[in-house]
Amino acid sequence: MDYPIWDLSMGGGVLIALVAITHVWVSHFAVGGGLAIAIVETLGVRRNDPALRSLARRSSQMLILVSTVFGAISGVGIWVTIGLVQPAATSSLIHNFVWGWAAEWAFFILEVATALLYYATWDKVRPRTHLLIIWLYFFAAYMSLVIIQGIISFMLTPGKWLETGSFWDAIFNPTYFPGLVMRTGICVLLAGAYMMFAALREPGGAARASLVRLMAGFQVAGGLVAYGGYRWWENALPESVRLIFLGGSPLVPALGATRGLVLWSLAAFMLLAVFAWVLPRAQRWPVALIALLAAFSFFGAEERVREGVRKPFVIRDFMFSNGILVSEIKDLNQRGILSKATWAARESDGTPVSMGRAVYRAQCQACHTVDGYLSMRQLVAAPDADTLGLILEVLQGQGEGYTSGAHTEKGHIATQKLDYPAMPPLVGTAEEIAALKAWLLSLQSPAKEVSHAR
Amino acid sequence: MPASLIPAVDPAALPGPPWLFHVLWVITFLIHLVFVNMVMGGSLLAALVGRNRPGAREIQTFFVEANSWAISFAITFGIAPLLFMQVLFGRFFYTATILLAWWWLGMLVILTLGYYLNYIAKFRLKAGKGARAVLVVEALCFLAIAGIQVAINVLHLQPGRWESVAQQTWAALLDPTFAPRYLHFVLAAVAMAGVTLAFVATRRASTTGDREACLGMARFGLRAAFLSTALNLADGFWLLLALPREVLRAFMRGGAATMIPLSAGILVGVLLLVVLSRITDPLTQAKEVRRAAEALGATVVLMVLTRHELRDIYLAPWRTSEQVTVATQWGPLALFLVMFVLCVGLTVYAIVRAVKDRPGPGEAAA
Repeated sequence: MDYPIWDLSMGGGVLIALVAITHVWVSHFAVGGGLAIAIVETLGVRRNDPALRSLARRSSQMLILVSTVFGAISGVGIWVTIGLVQPAATSSLIHNFVWGWAAEWAFFILEVATALLYYATWDKVRPRTHLLIIWLYFFAAYMSLVIIQGIISFMLTPGKWLETGSFWDAIFNPTYFPGLVMRTGICVLLAGAYMMFAALREPGGAARASLVRLMAGFQVAGGLVAYGGYRWWENALPESVRLIFLGGSPLVPALGATRGLVLWSLAAFMLLAVFAWVLPRAQRWPVALIALLAAFSFFGAEERVREGVRKPFVIRDFMFSNGILVSEIKDLNQRGILSKATWAARESDGTPVSMGRAVYRAQCQACHTVDGYLSMRQLVAAPDADTLGLILEVLQGQGEGYTSGAHTEKGHIATQKLDYPAMPPLVGTAEEIAALKAWLLSLQSPAKEVSHAR
Repeated sequence: MPASLIPAVDPAALPGPPWLFHVLWVITFLIHLVFVNMVMGGSLLAALVGRNRPGAREIQTFFVEANSWAISFAITFGIAPLLFMQVLFGRFFYTATILLAWWWLGMLVILTLGYYLNYIAKFRLKAGKGARAVLVVEALCFLAIAGIQVAINVLHLQPGRWESVAQQTWAALLDPTFAPRYLHFVLAAVAMAGVTLAFVATRRASTTGDREACLGMARFGLRAAFLSTALNLADGFWLLLALPREVLRAFMRGGAATMIPLSAGILVGVLLLVVLSRITDPLTQAKEVRRAAEALGATVVLMVLTRHELRDIYLAPWRTSEQVTVATQWGPLALFLVMFVLCVGLTVYAIVRAVKDRPGPGEAAA
């Protein structure tokens, strides 16, 4: 929050989601593809089956071009993006998990080296060495998932870490294992979905059908494990999180609908996988493409839900999505938000409207934009000055709910008991809140805001 | 600039002693830089090599083959220094990246393009086709990335310039050290790629390679290395004199800690020039070529140390009130060290086995 603010019309959260979701579509294939290729080549060597070995070879080219290039760069891309949009949270995560990330990096070295080595040594080494390389690749890739899952799941369910501050409590948090099972299944199903295209390039009809059935087997097995892991994950969530997207009237209806997309996409994917398994000769690339898109839809929606249900936090019960710590609410109400948000404050010329805009940039812009995503102008179009003042009063009053302990259930802040359960509390002095109100009202009359901007 | 624009120190304790992060940062950055130099210099030399020069095709093929590995390792080994640096100086670094957000994010798009272009060049050369245009665009991509990296690194060192860059992004390029610093990195990269090319050519000539092509490769590499090193010596002094006066003064008063690496680096650079100038027939002077590679390696090590010290001097006035607590996470630290040794060991084992375990005559290969 005391960092410069990057103006993005799409909103920073959307950009993070775009980068992260495209990355996981590839990175999970990088893990599952390693396993599938290792199994396919092992079977090919044992059965002396050239079709299986050709499939492994074709798939390894896909693995190199997709994973080591796009996967590696987009992985760095997530880090770059969260550093730009959520620098305080990124710093906090790095201070807690630097050794975990460093251990993951060690596995990256092995992963990248074996991926390139595997592709470069076709026709050059004995089969047993080639198999050793791909199994080492899979080991490294899976271990990187084992580590990063701890950090990803920590942000939603930090568990005992909130009391102990222990690295291990943070990693082995309540949703660590359910998420790991789900991601393992996703890795396998994505491997089947991607490699189906390589299987369809097999020229012989019988051989092709056999490869298609094998890939469909990966899809079905992966889909079942992913489904089991997903439901386990839902059950492992604290009640306050479940209510955000589950039940007849979820607190955030859009996330409830996205959860529907998760399940329906997986159902569609499983249907197509079973079809390919039962009728492998009838499998064609358009069907394989639809299955891959269904897999993307399932996984993308699942990631959206997982990120979305953290609302209003970026690290649950610890740091809000605008970088404000739960522990500093009282202090900021006394000192003022602009005493901390110095980059936003420097844009204020002291008039109420400009100070209000600075308060908005400090607290709201992490999720909202003026005219784009979650537009403030649209949100404040209807309420009159009194209603708006009341809303801001309630939002600031919510801070008490976070700090008093009155809304705590089983160690978690029961956000569902708040009037705005998906919004961080508003913090600041009376003067700053009044200034924010003045700026919001100025949005209702564009001329006023434009003249100020000038 | 009000000092208040510098974000507060992260309230979390450092999970290890600062010296350890500095050591890990320097070591991993050094490895990263070796691969980066190979990518940057290699892509430039592959794009610039004359069509009619003996061994031109071999030169291009060598660099695109090497870069398909080097780009991956440059990215992988770039992760670690970025990680350790953020633990120590995150508040300076994040601010600089946010001020140049589109550049920083765009760098990844350019990197993706450059990497795929390298594969396109590789496949084209393998198919017997030309790849000049692809290689030129690839080299431009990496030149642009180098520019972005230098701009952000220069900016994070100077909070006093943040306000002006916040007003006008292009002001990031107006720092007097930007141009000499940028040149310093690009020229060093060309020297490293050139010497590596010559080193590989001399080894290849002694085994199975086409002697004429190998000679062409070695000569081209050595000439590029000589020219770029000579220019870089001059550029190094330009960079030194372009430093802010107070930084230069603090650097000169730093005693042995700052002056030894810099002086030794300049001396080894001169020695490199001498060694390069004495090579007239590289294929029969393989030992000299190896010495050039060693001198170059030593120069890079010394310059990385100098660069690291310079950063501390730049940031010192802005960190006078910085108070950090340390609570070392011994278990996770041990986990990292064990995993690191394990993974490096397995990587070396896999590479050695892949090199040695070749099928005999009539034996099936994978």
